[in-house]
Amino acid sequence: MRSLISLSRANLKSFVRDRAALFWTLAFPVLFVILFGTIFSGGGTPSYDVGFVDQDGTPAVTQLRSAFERSGFVTLHDGTLEAEQAAMRKGDVAGIVVVPAGVGAAITAAQAGGAPAQVALTLYTDPSRAGTAQALQVITNAVATSTNLAVAGRPPVLGVDHESLATQQLSNVSYFVPSILAMALMQLGIFAAIPLVQQREKLILKRLNATPLPRWTLVGSNIAVRLVIAAAQTALIVGIGVKFLGVEVIGGWLAIVGLVAVGALTFVSIGYVIASFARTEEAANGMTSIVQFPLMFLSGIFFPLEIMPDWLRSIATFMPLTYLGDALRQVMVGGAPFVPLGVDIAVLGAWLVACLVISGRFFRWQ
Amino acid sequence: MSARAPGPAGSGSVINVRDVRKSFGDVKAVDGVSFEVRAGEIFGLLGPNGAGKTTTMEMLEGLGKPDAGELLVLGLDVTKHATAIKQRIGVQLQTAALFPQLSVAEVIDLFGSFYRRRLPASRLVADLDLEEKRDAQTKNLSGGQRQRLSVALALVNDPELVFLDEPTTGLDPAARRGLWHLILGLKAEGRSVLMTTHYLEEAEAICDRVAIMDHGRILDIGTVDELIGRRFRERAIQFDTLPTLGDGQLSELASVTRVAHEDGVTLLYTADVPETIGALLGAAKGAGVEPDNLLVRRASLEDVFLELTGRALRD
Repeated sequence: MRSLISLSRANLKSFVRDRAALFWTLAFPVLFVILFGTIFSGGGTPSYDVGFVDQDGTPAVTQLRSAFERSGFVTLHDGTLEAEQAAMRKGDVAGIVVVPAGVGAAITAAQAGGAPAQVALTLYTDPSRAGTAQALQVITNAVATSTNLAVAGRPPVLGVDHESLATQQLSNVSYFVPSILAMALMQLGIFAAIPLVQQREKLILKRLNATPLPRWTLVGSNIAVRLVIAAAQTALIVGIGVKFLGVEVIGGWLAIVGLVAVGALTFVSIGYVIASFARTEEAANGMTSIVQFPLMFLSGIFFPLEIMPDWLRSIATFMPLTYLGDALRQVMVGGAPFVPLGVDIAVLGAWLVACLVISGRFFRWQ
Repeated sequence: MSARAPGPAGSGSVINVRDVRKSFGDVKAVDGVSFEVRAGEIFGLLGPNGAGKTTTMEMLEGLGKPDAGELLVLGLDVTKHATAIKQRIGVQLQTAALFPQLSVAEVIDLFGSFYRRRLPASRLVADLDLEEKRDAQTKNLSGGQRQRLSVALALVNDPELVFLDEPTTGLDPAARRGLWHLILGLKAEGRSVLMTTHYLEEAEAICDRVAIMDHGRILDIGTVDELIGRRFRERAIQFDTLPTLGDGQLSELASVTRVAHEDGVTLLYTADVPETIGALLGAAKGAGVEPDNLLVRRASLEDVFLELTGRALRD
């Protein structure tokens, strides 16, 4: 254990003192976050397109409609619930207000001095677009309150129910922050090949083999170092996203940390496969590039899979990064799943096991 | 460094190699090698590059498995007890393999953490004259400094047996002598040393016993005197050629076996040096001359190597 800790410390020091490694694993993704943040966080007065589903059909609904429109923040689009939900998933509307049957009757009864049972509007919002969801909640609550005030002296007749509808139309920054984290983890893992090949080429691995240090300690220390750096990357990228770009992280930290660990391990194992086949440091550099760029651009981490042509999407289906990006997006910002979270983790796990088997077979210490 | 009592191993052997073979593809790198290193001695494997010295040494260090044969280090079978052996031996590889971004002190501390028994880094830094470079990253060290650090790492666990693979290759003469002094110091502390070298004068200067290797085989083993004495019984008496003493007269002198000339010097090969010198001085006195630059020359390890392999050992 003592030797594991001191070897990990030595490897971490070597990493921190290697300016190039530091740039690619920490500064590069941060630059990406800042770049995307600047491009996509353009301001402007907020105005929301909102679906309006009238299931009541009484004149009282007209009053509600004009109350919404008077707020000045929303443009209403009429339609059925199904049609509006489809529109919301496509990003055409930011939320949906449903007026269930019976609302008009209750309001009329209250105005006539009765005490009808409370009724409620239903508001659909996307939790991953926290700012928008919050704004729509405020507006809808205000409409309900003003309706209640109009029938003063009575217990409030109109409430608001909240429903979540996850969409793939995350705000751009919310979409990209998990993507950049996934990219950073991918690079971190794949680049693990380089110090490994370096240490083999410089005969450091051989020298370590001449000490009583068990081999699992060598592997364990490499993995420990990568996990520590992964934690730093996550804190940095998520921190900047939350603090400066208004990304709302909805997932629990435990789930995020677990997923980051699974992702880092999977890509470190791919790094080991590269180190198994690269004889020289130059070869390792070349191979990491060959693996890295297709992963980056064909994995749907920067371009949503939906907008890809079919042939490209079928390539992306094989990329482990597709699944890490998808999983991080689901857990961190509540993005709509490409596949269920369990499938994401299973695919990453399958890659991990396959890569471990391959590098167990082909990795050479000297 | 720590004084070490000769102990019970003083009489025994620390390395036993019996008929070890190792091939890489079609190349027989080590082809039936047997030798023994005694406790407390400096044993040298001498031979040209590619002779199988490093392969033999690395098998003893547990870095390569033999195809056949038996390797005992400190009484333990290397193929079965590699980890236990590694705790007690010190290893210096031919290429100094250091973490380039770590400082001298950090690398020593790191390697120290791998062993149960360890010497303080401060003492190693002092003993190997690395104090100035204590906090320098190893990538910025000179060749001699790297080599000394590499030896320091081989001593970090206070080993009983030290393996040094070509420890002075690439060093300038002063640095080489410094390292010889250090290796002799290891012996003085009671450690045993197995080293490889392709420098004849290095083997002559510091090795108690030498095995001459070529093409994966050991051609002969012994002290330098034994190796020479086995082949070259006669010695040569050398002096500046005296025109007044003819070859005919010289060859008549007591015990002289042969007379030769080399660049203005005369060589008298003899089986009995004192007798021939006496006769030579007598003859010179009789002729009224005195031999200048008189000295006794013996065959060197180089002559032995030439005799054994049919070629000279060059860098």
